[in-house]
Amino acid sequence: MKSLDLAELTISEASAQIRRKKLSPVELITLFLERVKELNPILNAYVTPTAEQAHADAKAAEREIRRGKYRGPLHGIPFSIKDNLATKGVRTTAGSKILSEWVPDYDATVVERLKQAGAIILGKTNMHEWASGGTTINPYYGTTYNPWDLKRIPGGSSGGSAAAVAASLCLGSIGTDNAGSVRNPASFCGTVGLKATYGRVSRFGDVPGTGGFSTDHFGIFTKTVRDCALVLRALAGHDPRDPLSSEEKVPDYSRSVGKKVKGLKIGVLRGYIEENVSGEVKRTFEEAVRLLQSLGLKKEDVSIPHMDLIPAVQTATSRVENASSLVNHLRARPRDFSPALLYRHIQSLTIPATTYVTAQRVRRIICREFDEALERVHLILTPTTPIPAPTIEECQRGYLEVDVKRVALQGLSGSFGTTCTIPFNVTGLPAISVCCGFSSLGLPIGLQIVGGAFQEGMVFQVAHAYEQATKWYERKPQLPQA
Amino acid sequence: MEEIVRKLNAEYGFNLSEEEIKLIAQQAEEAHRLFRPLYEVDLTDVMPMMKVDRRKGKE
Repeated sequence: MKSLDLAELTISEASAQIRRKKLSPVELITLFLERVKELNPILNAYVTPTAEQAHADAKAAEREIRRGKYRGPLHGIPFSIKDNLATKGVRTTAGSKILSEWVPDYDATVVERLKQAGAIILGKTNMHEWASGGTTINPYYGTTYNPWDLKRIPGGSSGGSAAAVAASLCLGSIGTDNAGSVRNPASFCGTVGLKATYGRVSRFGDVPGTGGFSTDHFGIFTKTVRDCALVLRALAGHDPRDPLSSEEKVPDYSRSVGKKVKGLKIGVLRGYIEENVSGEVKRTFEEAVRLLQSLGLKKEDVSIPHMDLIPAVQTATSRVENASSLVNHLRARPRDFSPALLYRHIQSLTIPATTYVTAQRVRRIICREFDEALERVHLILTPTTPIPAPTIEECQRGYLEVDVKRVALQGLSGSFGTTCTIPFNVTGLPAISVCCGFSSLGLPIGLQIVGGAFQEGMVFQVAHAYEQATKWYERKPQLPQA
Repeated sequence: MEEIVRKLNAEYGFNLSEEEIKLIAQQAEEAHRLFRPLYEVDLTDVMPMMKVDRRKGKE
């Protein structure tokens, strides 16, 4: 296999060849590690590559497969892990200065499950400091660059994971999503990004302080929807170490991929999202909706009466929950947070308990309203992000022009980039981002498809149908040589 | 709000400058304005979204 082919390769294709013993895990992992060595200095997607361990794991996988012990579709497949998921024996920084030397003696449950499935970990990926922003411009570990345009951010906070998958520096990656931190970078980098239903995937091993207890989710990056379904099957399921993980049975999601979509009802979410989305994203999104209608899906508009309160609920909830995890670090090493983040955490300490509880009461109303909407339609659609990836310069300046309007990238109610994604952190509903086209500058634009609780199968079903009808995923970034 | 930030500064030992205290207080006041509409919602009989994750005990 030539190195060039890696850009085209998916998990499904690689695993089919590994299963038939036509592709050796050692050969595959060696090619990927060479690609990481060549391109990571340009992209800064990985902060801690683990090449030596990956080679050893690939050899072990190869021995097992030769002996007839094939573990399943992730056996021998190269993955990366966001740097706020604990990895046994491997530095886990959470993008922070405070944890720059921390080496956990345990694996997060998702890492453990990936290893059990035979996946090979190539390393840890860069992220926004403490997962508290959407740029992956990290003051301690450098900026990760968007493979589609190196002057632009990959999004965040799981920016390294998205860039790694988009640039084929691995075939899948695991990130976290407290406000859109998987779906936002997936949209900016043109990959698939899924945040499953709250509780579907165990959060044990998440670095405390990188997301709210009730708003943060682990998520998956892949190149295709089919691959994402394979990975979710391997990761999902109850974990006694995460008391909030669900005991709901894990279906074989691959069975939903390829099922007919005709007759399903989609709801286009109206409200504040529309006011924030750029004209170009809006047009691309509307085109995606028309395409789905042409596949036989029926469309109607969906309005959520308390939609405008979502930013307040998300902010009060995630900031208070997050601050409670960081109290010891704030006391001991306040100046080892970047100044803007320290100020934000101090603000969080001023939020009264009554505001937090009131937010949880309003949250119940919002959840109920979404559940009612999802009784009328099977799925809800929005753009994933209001704009395509902004430039690093725009992010450092703090604002950009959207259709001749000046927009602050980081407001008090959160990041501009999370406008469309936070409703599903508040409600815990499953949401996927798939590429739905490209801007006039050649940047990917994301379509967000949201299902009812534990309806990931239907989300995959429609996302796959869209993906196969458009084949946007076949377009690849043109990467420079090192 | 400045008073609250000063108290936190003393309690946590942040060692904030006067300028930082003023800036954080101002940002916190703006954030609190975002939360005000939450109190305008009719929450009669609405329980908070909270999960008490007890398991079944021994029989």
